[in-house]
Order: sequence, then structure tokens, then C-alpha cells
Amino acid sequence: MAVPMHTSNRLFLPARDTRMLLIKWVVALIVPLAVFNFVWQGDALINNVILGFINPASAPVTDGQLVEAVIFIAIFYLTLLALAGYLVAADSGRRGVLEVWIDILIFTVVPILLIVATSNNLILGLALCGIVWPIYFILRRRIPFLSFLNPKSVPPPEGLRLIDSEQRAIMIGRARAGGFWFGTSFAVIWLFVDLIFFLSGQLPTELLVVTAIRTVLLPLGGYFLGQLGGMLAVRRTLAANGNGNGNHASEESSLRSRRQKERQILATSRASEETRAVVPNDLPLRSTGARNFFLILLVAFVVFYPVIDPFLFGSGTAGRLSGYNDAGYYVILALGLNIVVGFAGLLDLGYVAFFAIGAYAWGIVGSTQLGFISPIHIPFNALSGLFWPMLLVTALIAAGWGVLLGAPTLRLRGDYLAIVTLGFGEIVPVVFLNLDTLTNGTNGIVGVHSPAFFGVFWSQITPIPYYYLILALIGLTIFANIRLRDSRLGRAWIAMREDEIAAASSGVNLVRTKLFAFGTGAFFSGLAGAYYSAKLGGVSPETFGFGDSVIYLAMVVIGGIGSIPGVIVGALTVYSINLFILNSLDTLASDPTNFLHSFDQFIVNIVPGFTFGNIRNLVFGIILIVIMIFRPAGLIPSARRRRELTRAPEGEAALELGSLDVTTTDPGFEAEVRIE
Amino acid sequence: MTLFIQLLLVGIISGSVYALIALGYTMVYGIIELINFAHGDIFMMGTFITITIYSAFHITDNPPFGMPIVAALVVAFLASTILCAILGVVIERIAYRPLRNAPRLAPLISAIGVSLILEDVGKLWKGLSPISPPQIFNTIYYIGPITISITDIIVVVTAAVLMIALQWMVTSTRIGRAMRAVAQDREAAALMGVNVDRIISFTFLVGAGLAGAAGFIFLLKFPTTTFTIGFELGLIAFTAAVLGGIGNLVGAMLGGLLIGLIGSLVNLIPNSSDPNVHGFGIPHGGGAWSLAIIFAILILILVFRPSGLLGQQTPEKV
Amino acid sequence: MSVEQVREHSGQPLLDLQNVSKHFGGLAAVQDVNLQIWPGEIISIIGPNGAGKTTVFNLITGIYRASVGDISLDGASLVGLTPDRVLRRGIARTFQNIRLFNNMTVMENVLVGQHSQLSASILGSLFRPPRVHNEEANARVRAIELLGFFGNELIERQEEYVINLSYAQKRRVEIARALGSKPKLLLLDEPTAGMNEVETLEAVKYVRRLRDELDLTILLIEHKLAVTMGISDRIAVLDYGRKIAEGLPEDIRRNEQVIAAYLGKPTVAEQQTAD
Repeated sequence: MAVPMHTSNRLFLPARDTRMLLIKWVVALIVPLAVFNFVWQGDALINNVILGFINPASAPVTDGQLVEAVIFIAIFYLTLLALAGYLVAADSGRRGVLEVWIDILIFTVVPILLIVATSNNLILGLALCGIVWPIYFILRRRIPFLSFLNPKSVPPPEGLRLIDSEQRAIMIGRARAGGFWFGTSFAVIWLFVDLIFFLSGQLPTELLVVTAIRTVLLPLGGYFLGQLGGMLAVRRTLAANGNGNGNHASEESSLRSRRQKERQILATSRASEETRAVVPNDLPLRSTGARNFFLILLVAFVVFYPVIDPFLFGSGTAGRLSGYNDAGYYVILALGLNIVVGFAGLLDLGYVAFFAIGAYAWGIVGSTQLGFISPIHIPFNALSGLFWPMLLVTALIAAGWGVLLGAPTLRLRGDYLAIVTLGFGEIVPVVFLNLDTLTNGTNGIVGVHSPAFFGVFWSQITPIPYYYLILALIGLTIFANIRLRDSRLGRAWIAMREDEIAAASSGVNLVRTKLFAFGTGAFFSGLAGAYYSAKLGGVSPETFGFGDSVIYLAMVVIGGIGSIPGVIVGALTVYSINLFILNSLDTLASDPTNFLHSFDQFIVNIVPGFTFGNIRNLVFGIILIVIMIFRPAGLIPSARRRRELTRAPEGEAALELGSLDVTTTDPGFEAEVRIE
Repeated sequence: MTLFIQLLLVGIISGSVYALIALGYTMVYGIIELINFAHGDIFMMGTFITITIYSAFHITDNPPFGMPIVAALVVAFLASTILCAILGVVIERIAYRPLRNAPRLAPLISAIGVSLILEDVGKLWKGLSPISPPQIFNTIYYIGPITISITDIIVVVTAAVLMIALQWMVTSTRIGRAMRAVAQDREAAALMGVNVDRIISFTFLVGAGLAGAAGFIFLLKFPTTTFTIGFELGLIAFTAAVLGGIGNLVGAMLGGLLIGLIGSLVNLIPNSSDPNVHGFGIPHGGGAWSLAIIFAILILILVFRPSGLLGQQTPEKV
Repeated sequence: MSVEQVREHSGQPLLDLQNVSKHFGGLAAVQDVNLQIWPGEIISIIGPNGAGKTTVFNLITGIYRASVGDISLDGASLVGLTPDRVLRRGIARTFQNIRLFNNMTVMENVLVGQHSQLSASILGSLFRPPRVHNEEANARVRAIELLGFFGNELIERQEEYVINLSYAQKRRVEIARALGSKPKLLLLDEPTAGMNEVETLEAVKYVRRLRDELDLTILLIEHKLAVTMGISDRIAVLDYGRKIAEGLPEDIRRNEQVIAAYLGKPTVAEQQTAD
């Protein structure tokens, strides 16, 4: 079933096999794009931006937003065009057209429709997806009629193909065609739509110019960007003659030659995971190359979100952003705890202690409190500027306490370690509560200053600067986590988690490694704490308790212990359940026309005092137990755990959420969440 | 001085309750090496069941002594004990048994999940605010300046009887022997013909039953309960179990008493802002810090004597 | 060194155990053991199960602390050092039951073995300056070299998780990991356990190669007498925690106490009927 490679490359009259590929991928990309545009009038997005540029008086868009929107749109289109090229080039032909289309339908169109169905509620819509997708997976595995939808696993040596330069040229030609035809189809469809609007009088004449420009630029851009996508795809092939990817005979550092040698060995190795990253690929949507495209789109979406939001969801941007800001520090906490629990395997049930330390550290320094307890009086207008250096200082203070509080646990076994950390998690808030002179006790500290940037003060009213601050902090945290995980220290942590004695016997200093884990984890907690008290404008001891530590642990566990994308998803999931979903259900249930209303009434008759918000812990508890029993590796398992997911006796592979093309896992491995 | 003895008394009584709860923790940990986070919440359920029975019997404050009141007490005690015992077994079956062979972290998290569920169930059942049972006993005796009420005596006696019964069961009966065998070496016990699953369920049964009984007893002396009581008391009781040496029954009893005494006697530490003590003492007095002090003790024990007062070190075989 | 070599050794022993004892509560797992090992030797410790052989290993590597006596490497005492310190002094080991890091790949396991040879600090790990970058790359290259000691097979499987490997392959990875720290002395705990004849012969060959090509001194615990007889320069025999014999293989083979230890001493009744 592999796509034959001995065809010539014609752009306008492509050969039959290329045509099939084009149909497959162009339709696969156009359909979600069309749905998205239809639902949210994406072209209206662009039109408004252009109108605002041409006619500033009539449009409500500010200059800054203009620029941002333009950049976002440009990135969006460029990425899609290149992605089209990449996908066409990367396809090995093993996965049929229908399968790909259905997958795209389920994973892109369905979420869009669900979000719209829940009245443009992003969180609720995604939550519903979280129910629909597992159902799809189960159906796909269980119902024989639908079994063709499952991706077939490929024996590794066959999956890893060696490409010569002629085949490479063909692939690039295909990629060019892919980009070109995608761009063309897109341009034609939109030309059509715009003409209809114009003829019905809804499109201003000025915008016709834009339409014309677009119709020309898209195919052209598609051609070149498709080629770029193809080149990216081809970079991941293995040259048959072992000289690297047809590289220029550049300076051969001994390092590069060694790497070539390793690649050569890989070509004949039986490591099947490598096939996913190398093209041609039977799972092009899921290959590492495609993932980079998706990451670019995701990052662009997140970074430009404040601009896009009004177009997507209408009013209420500020409220939503504020909610995301809160979700943001949960993400940092989850990532920090992931270092302690996920990498190093130290079960920390008192993580909230370091969060509290961070919050109080800035709380004391950033307000008048410092003046009360010490002779240091910082002038009021300097306080806000002090936030930036204090961010680092606070994190370091928290890290220091991480080391101090971690020290007593060094020789303890897993569950005892958990209890001691839990103990600290209880002691610290009590200390903050009772040391009135230092912390103002139950009243907490008010009037904590928010940060300032180049003289511009951030009030608590606009959430936008906080949004970018938390994004920056999250980005930093992710970067640090990835770097640490793949380093000498990260290996030491994982080795220690797997087998302490073997690790020590291999040279890992257990004391230092554990203390580093605690300290690093606490560092990020301190960052989040400083952000928290700055944003909230105050800090009080009642907000820190064991329940919070449980929530942080739940985020890590539900998301996927040790997995960086996993805990991010886990944090967002837990946060949504905690704050959004249940409350939204309550709001929906209070509407008498909603079917939820009668359901709610029915339950209230039996159990007075029932509200959806009230059963938050109940829901959490059930989720935790279910996850532990059925999917202990979490929603998005780390790469290590992924290969160990259990195959149930009936021959089912375990659910793997969050991936578009799903590989079947190898049989016979046991679920192991090895943390001791 | 009278304050000291009074506090001593309170300490013994609360210690007895802690001891009963601690026994459940230590038995479960001894047999499957799991810290049953939900155990404290089973205790909470016991208190709620007791209150429900009292209101079913229409008991009000200071009832006249007679059959109805005795019946109510007996039914409440039995209901609390038996229902909690069953609850314990059900929890084990649903949330812990499937994870018998999973690594340590999994059942621990599952236990946290169960705890969360029970707390919300309690919240839905009896509401958010603390509730109180009727005051049943009123007789107070005076020994010099010391006040003892009849409830004090009932509490201590009942607790002692239960503990003795448990100790007898574990040491002298066949099933007790089986429990000890499973706790020491599960596989060997299975090879000797012990039905491990049933013994583990039985352990949960007894442990949870004791927690239920503790709930009944607790309400006699401390007439307030709320859905969050399980967590706090549970943690304190677990500290007691660890202090005494986890897995060791006598240790749990001892630990319970000690923690009860400590928790009570810290109230002797004066409040530094109290003008009578001229600055001596700690802010807000010892009472406010009791939780922190108990945890600090727990941490110190675990660091310097990880096996507790009466526990045994089991070195890891390399 | 061949088996017939002169028994005299000159200079300081590489590893010196002097009157080493270890008590667990009332039980003496190891009692009054004396042993000297000179550089370049292959020494075997044999004895019935429970004789205390692995305990001796654990004492040398710092997992247990000797109750009595001294253990020194090149004259410097090892008693009281933590296992990672012992490793840094130059003693690496493998385990009886193979203790690899199951959730890591072959390459990662061997990289961990080089932990003591690398020097990236936490800041270095975060910022990856060229020095750290090169260090990591070189470490990987060295890992491949170490794996290559056993042929191409493990190199080809370097990105596989060790849990997928066969038993014999896992043993080799464990040895490659141990070699990462550039040890002077290698302790192998039952390296041929669970292997069939072919695999055992292979193992014997690479143990010799380890000594010859990599200049290591090797102390092994071994149950298969054929292996020990063939490979060892000297053999020490433990029984009930005590050393009951030591010497050249052919002497040990004929030693009555050794035979009695393995086969059991005859009871009084049996002895009477024998007479």
C-alpha cells in the first residue's frame, strides 16, 4: 500500500498517486478551516482588521491590536501552507483517505461545534470533547465495523525507509503541489464566498482589492511554503548511502561524523519509535515534524489570544483572561510539583507550603508590612518596580526553604516522606497565621503592590499584562523543565526514582539529588506565589491548606506523572473542573428551559443543599480513583510510561487521549507507575 | 495544679478516642502498607450516624434515664460500629483492591480520592455547619477540685474494653493469627492456606468498625461534629499511630494516649500577649499551635526514630 | 595472570578486608573475614546460599557499614562511605538480581553510569553552555563505546527501554553502566545467573576481556563451580559468614571443608552407619 515513488512531478496535472494524496490532505485541511471560518467568520476577522487600517474612524480596533492581528493571521496562514506541503510529502500511504478524514472530523470539527453549542464557552466545549473523544476511541476499538479506522502498526524495519536523492526530489515536488493546491483551493473558495457577499451588497468595495490580492498570493505562497514544508519533511529521512541527508560536504567535526554513524546504526536498528519521526511516515499527523507545526499554531494562538478573543467569543474578554491568569499559576505549580513527584519520585503532599512562602515573601516586601516589622522603609512608588528582582529573590527564598524542609525527609521511605511533607504543609500556614507580628495573622496583608513595567503601573483591572507575565513565566518554567529533564541532573532524578540503591551505586549522591529536587520544585512554587500575591493584591493564611496540596497533586497525577505536556493539561483540566465547569453547570441548571434544571430539581428533592458546585470534591475524588484504577499513567503519559500501558485481557490497548493518529501499544507490558 | 490535672484528664479522654482511630490506621498499614487517608472520614461518618440515630429516637437534652435512652445508646453504638465497618469493607473492595499490585503511589492517591468523596457526602448529608448531638449524661462527680463527668468514665471504659478485645482477638484467635501472618509476609501466608483477600477485608472491617465506635464515643464527650472533622482528627490519629510504631497495635494505643496528652497539655503554654505572663510564652498561647506542635513531633520521630517508639526496623534486602 | 602464577604478591593490595564482621541484631551475617586482592586479579567468592557473599559486596560498596574491621582501597579506608563515594573511589558493581533503571533506555542507563565523570551543575544543565553540550555529546559517544565492548547488538538497541531486553542483554547493560565510572575494581554478583551454557561461556569470555582489555581487577560471586574454577586466579570460600578456605582453584576443589560446606556434614547417625 505504500505510495510508489517512481512518478514524475507535474504541478498542474499531477500523476494519479499524487492526485490521491492531494485530495486526501487538501480536503483534510480545508474542511476544518472552512468550518472555523464559517462559525467565527474568520474572514470577518481579517476584514475588520483591514477596514480598521483603511478607515480608522469607523473601526474599533486599536493600532496595537491591528498589528497583532495581522501578525497572527500571517503566522496562521504561513504555517498552514507549509503544513500542507509537509503532510503531502510525509505521507507513506498506509493510512487511507477515509480514516484521515474521520479523524480530522472528530478532532477538529467536533470541538469547534461543541464550543459553539455551549454558547461559545471554550472551557465547557473542551470539557465535552473530553467525553466525546474517549467514546470515539472505545467505539473505534470495539466495533469491528469501525476497526479500519485504527492505525495499523508497522513492523519497524519496514517502517524505516531509506531514501535516495531521486525519491527525495519527488517528495519535494509533491510537497510543492500540496502547498500550491491547498492555497489554490482556499483562494478559490474564498473568492467565491466574497463574490457572493459583494453581490449581495455586504462587502465594501475596498475589500475587493484584498480579495484579489489574496487570490493571487495564496497559491503562490502555497507553492513556496509547500516546498519549505517538503524540505522540512525530507530532512528527517535517512540517506541510503549513509552520507547524511545529501548535505554539503561541510566542516566535518568529529561530532557530526559520530552522529552520522549513530544515524546509520539507527537505520538498521529495531527501535520502532524512531520511525515516527522519520519520513515517509504512516502517521504523518502525529510525527514529530507535524507536531512542530501544531506547536507553532498553538503558541501563536496563545500569544495572540487577547486580540483574537473578542472576535471569537464576543464580550467578556477581561473576565475570561482573568480566569486564564489564575489557571496560569496552577500550571506553574503543577510543573514545579512534577519535578519533585514526577522526575525525582518524591511524594510531596505539602507543596502548598512553598507557594505560601512565595506569596508571603512578596506580600511582606511589596507592601507596608516590611515597614512595620523592620527598619527598612521602601518608598511607595519604588515598590512596584521592586517586583521584578523580587520575583527571582522570592523564588530563591522558596527554594531555600525547599531544601530546609526537604532535609528531614532524606532517609524516609515513600509514604513516610509523604506524611512529613504533609506535616510541613500544615505547619507553615499555621506559622503564618500565628506569627502576627510578622504576617499580620488572620487579617492577612493587604495593599500588596502589583508590578509595574517601565513606569506603567498595572492595576488589578486589566488582566492583559498579567496574562503576558504568566505566559512568560510558564514559558520559562517549561523551558527549565525540559532542559533539566534531559540533563545529567534529570537522569539522576529518574534513576533515583527507579532504584535508589542502584543509583547510589552508580555514583548518584542521593542527598544532593533529593535536595536539588525539593529546591527546584520549591523555586517554581515561589514564582507562582509572588505572582499570586501581586495579582491578588493581598495574602491571607486561610487560603493555604492541605486541600490545595491535594489539588496540585491531582493535577500532576491526572495529567500524567513526569510528563510535561501532561501536567499542563492536568492543571488546566483540574482548574476547569474546580472553578469553571461545575459552576457553569450550576448556571445552566438555574435556567428553567434547560433540561439540566429538572435534573437538578430532582436531586435537590432527595438531597437538599445539592448544587453542582457543592460536589466538587466528590467529582475530584471519583476522578482520582478512576484514573488510578484505569489509567494510572495519566491523561497524557510521559513517553516512558506510554510504552508501558497495559493491554487489557480482551486485547484492548489503553486509551491514549490527545493524539490524532494513535499507534497501538505493544502487548504484554504492565502498567508501572514506578514512584517509590 | 488543678488545671494541670484537668487537662491531664481531657488528654486521656481525647487520647482514648485517638487511640481507637489510630488502631484502624495501624492495622491497615500493617497489612497492606497503605496510609488510609479515608479512615478519618469513616470516623466522621460514625459521628453522623450516631446523631441520626439519636434524632430517630427523638432524644433531647437531658433525657430521663430509662429503657428508651439505653436502647438509643445501644442502637447508636451498634449502628455506628457496624455500618462503618461495612463502609470500610466496601471502600477496600472498590478503591484499594484493584490497586493491590500497583506501585505505592496509586492506592495512596485513591485513598485521597475516597476521602474527598466521603467529605462531600458528609457535606451533602448534614450540611456545612457543625451539628451537635443532644447532651445525654449530666452527672458530674467532684474529686476535690477536679471535675469528672460520667461521660468521661464511659468513654475511657468503653475504649479500654474495645482495645482489650482487639488485642485478645489478634493474639489469641485463629483469625488474629492469620492477620498477623498476612501482615508479615503476604505470599507465605497465602501459601499456608490463608485467604489473603478475606483477611484484608476483615482487617478493614475491624479497623473501620473501631473508627465508628470511636465516633459514637467521641460525641458523648465532645458534642460537636462537622464534615471536615475527619481530616483533622484523622491526621492526628495517624501521627499517634506512627509515634507508637506503625503496624504495632499496642504502639497505636500508646501513641494515641501520648498525643492526646500532649495536645491537651500544650494549652498550659501561656499566651505571650496575655498581660499576666509578662511576655513569657508564645503568640496566641499553646492551644493555637497544637496542630503544628503535634506535626513537629511527628516529623521529629520520623527523622530520628523512623520506626516509632515500639516499632521494628525492617532493613531492605539488597 | 594465569592460574599457575606464583602465590606471592608484592606491594599493597588493591582491596584489603581486615577482620570484617557485620551484625544484624543478634545475627552475624559476616564474621571475621580477611581478604586481599591485588591489581589485575580475578578473584571469586563462592559458598552455599546464605553464606554472606552478597553481604560482603554490600559492605565493600557502602550499602552496609561494617560493624567490626576495616575495608580499604589502595590503603584508604572505605568504611562509613556512602555508596556513591565508594564508587568515586573506584569500585563499581553489578547486582545479583539485575538492578537496571527500568523506565530508562539502554543509552540512558549507561549515561547514568557516567554520572560521576560528568560535572554539569544545575545551572549548567539549565543553560547548556558549550562545555556542557560537549560533555553530553562525549558522554554519549563513550556510552556507545562501552556498549560496543559487547558487540553491535546493544548499540543497535540503545534507544530501547531496558525492560524489553533479554536477561543476558540486561546483564551486559548493567556491566556497561558500571564501567561508565572508570572503576579500578569491578564487583560482579553472579554474572552468569540464569544463563544457559552458551551464554555462560560468552560471559566468561567477556569477564576475562574486562580484565585484559580494560585493565580491571575483578571480584566475582559465582555459583557455577565450572566457571569459577576456570576463570579465577584465586578463590575464597564463605560459609555461615566465615571464610573457610582460600587459595588456588585446584586446591579449593580438593578442600574437605569446602566439600562439606556444599554437601553438608554427615550427622552422627550417618557417620555411625558409614563406619
